[in-house]
Amino acid sequence: MANSNLPRRIIKETQRLLSEPAPGISASPSEDNMRYFNVMILGPTQSPYEGGVFKLELFLPEEYPMAAPKVRFLTKIYHPNIDKLGRICLDILKDKWSPALQIRTVLLSIQALLSAPNPDDPLSENIAKHWKTNEAEAVETAKEWTRLYASGA
Amino acid sequence: MGLSWSNTRRRTTTFYHPPPPPPPCCYHHHAEPISLLPPPPPPHQSHYATMHQPPPSQSYPPPNNPYPTHIPPPVHHYCNSHHYHSSNYANHQPFYYTCHHQPTSGWSPVISPHVGFASTINAATAQPILPEPAPFVDHQNAKRVRNDVNVNKDTLKVEIDVSNPDHHLVSFVFDALFDGSITIFYFAKEEQDCRFVPAFPEAHLPVKISFQKGLGQKFHQPSGTGIDLGFFELDDLSKSSPEEDVFPLVIAAETYLPVDLTNENDDSVPNTLRHMQITQAVLEKKNGDNFHVRVIRQILWVAGVRYELREIYGIGSLAAEGFDNSDPGKECVICMIEPKDTAVLPCRHMCMCGKCAKELRLQSSKCPICRQPIEQLIGIKINSSDQ
Repeated sequence: MANSNLPRRIIKETQRLLSEPAPGISASPSEDNMRYFNVMILGPTQSPYEGGVFKLELFLPEEYPMAAPKVRFLTKIYHPNIDKLGRICLDILKDKWSPALQIRTVLLSIQALLSAPNPDDPLSENIAKHWKTNEAEAVETAKEWTRLYASGA
Repeated sequence: MGLSWSNTRRRTTTFYHPPPPPPPCCYHHHAEPISLLPPPPPPHQSHYATMHQPPPSQSYPPPNNPYPTHIPPPVHHYCNSHHYHSSNYANHQPFYYTCHHQPTSGWSPVISPHVGFASTINAATAQPILPEPAPFVDHQNAKRVRNDVNVNKDTLKVEIDVSNPDHHLVSFVFDALFDGSITIFYFAKEEQDCRFVPAFPEAHLPVKISFQKGLGQKFHQPSGTGIDLGFFELDDLSKSSPEEDVFPLVIAAETYLPVDLTNENDDSVPNTLRHMQITQAVLEKKNGDNFHVRVIRQILWVAGVRYELREIYGIGSLAAEGFDNSDPGKECVICMIEPKDTAVLPCRHMCMCGKCAKELRLQSSKCPICRQPIEQLIGIKINSSDQ
């Protein structure tokens, strides 16, 4: 990829992400493609994902920052707004994107989404249904998945 | 949010502002949706204008030469009248209204997440959504207006007159480049040409006090000239009636005309030549006995033109000396490289550099900070060497 033509904004964001990482979030660019980031988000405390380490991939399209980054969970997660392919249901990644948002703010938003699942606007119908009909059980499943798939191993 | 700044009733009909420097040729910019001097001003422009536009003949090339072949001259900083001025110049740069303003609450570009749509990382299938072509948006440069006197609205207080405990006195900090006077009105109505008339002259007549020029002066209304606020209902004191242009407390700060310092008799001076700053406020009593002054509006009256002063959000961080490439508060939120110099109207978010503003307009019609529709872009240069 044309890393030599990397916009200065991306370089700057990358530097700031590395020098002042947001708590519970790490993002580092791939060596062969500076637009591709390996991301890790720690499951927020007080959430079913607490204790988990979630891997994501983030890609900055050519149009970035006029277009949103593309982000996907690589770690399996039981969440009403994240589907089995890891795709995330978050408005700022779609129609509510603003070029004032950054990689950092996107990842913070995803972290917040883990703390506040929204089964009323689901991406995974089944999980959302589970969440709405028996939240305690759904939360248990989410904790179980966190133990199984996001234990940081 | 109802930002209505127009007041056609008050708009002066006598003033034309000085002919601009050679009018930049706007027709070269047709291909770009945010040309700096667009042909006919969009209708919404009057929404913000409190002053007269130059006659059309000054704004547009003559009809017999609609497509001149010369290169347009560089956009001149003063050539576009605009009426958008941040209001607080007290600290460092006392001359121009495009100077900094302390961010009041400060905006933050963090936008709270809402769920609702799936994003996809499959670049092959996920084409970027191509927005509809953005509607035409005016992109202008700020005009600088020199303000000779400024009342720092954050310092305005009413306090009990210690030697006359039933009465209240006004105090504040102000800057003045010339000698002048402060006039304190209670329940003053604004009339044409920025004249103020007390609505209840039987209760309180305006108090006028002269001052000498100087920056950062403290104004204390002399003891004994205060007002017994007990005369008024608390409800009336805390209520503004902008539709009737009556405010409980009005401070008119005026500088004497340098050309005619001997003549301090206001009535002989045509109002169109006066230079005033008006501060309109309400008096609130929350808990306790002290009145709290809340400024509703500040008006600048310069050479027969009435400006309403509004804050620009995000301009404060620019006022500090120099542009440090590592200061996130000063850089354009889009490229994160250039200093921001362009504000969005009507939301007043100063957040972009001119180049990114232009580019953004090709993609979107929303403010990057608050997502309100962009009606107008305005370039604001801050550097003091550019006076």
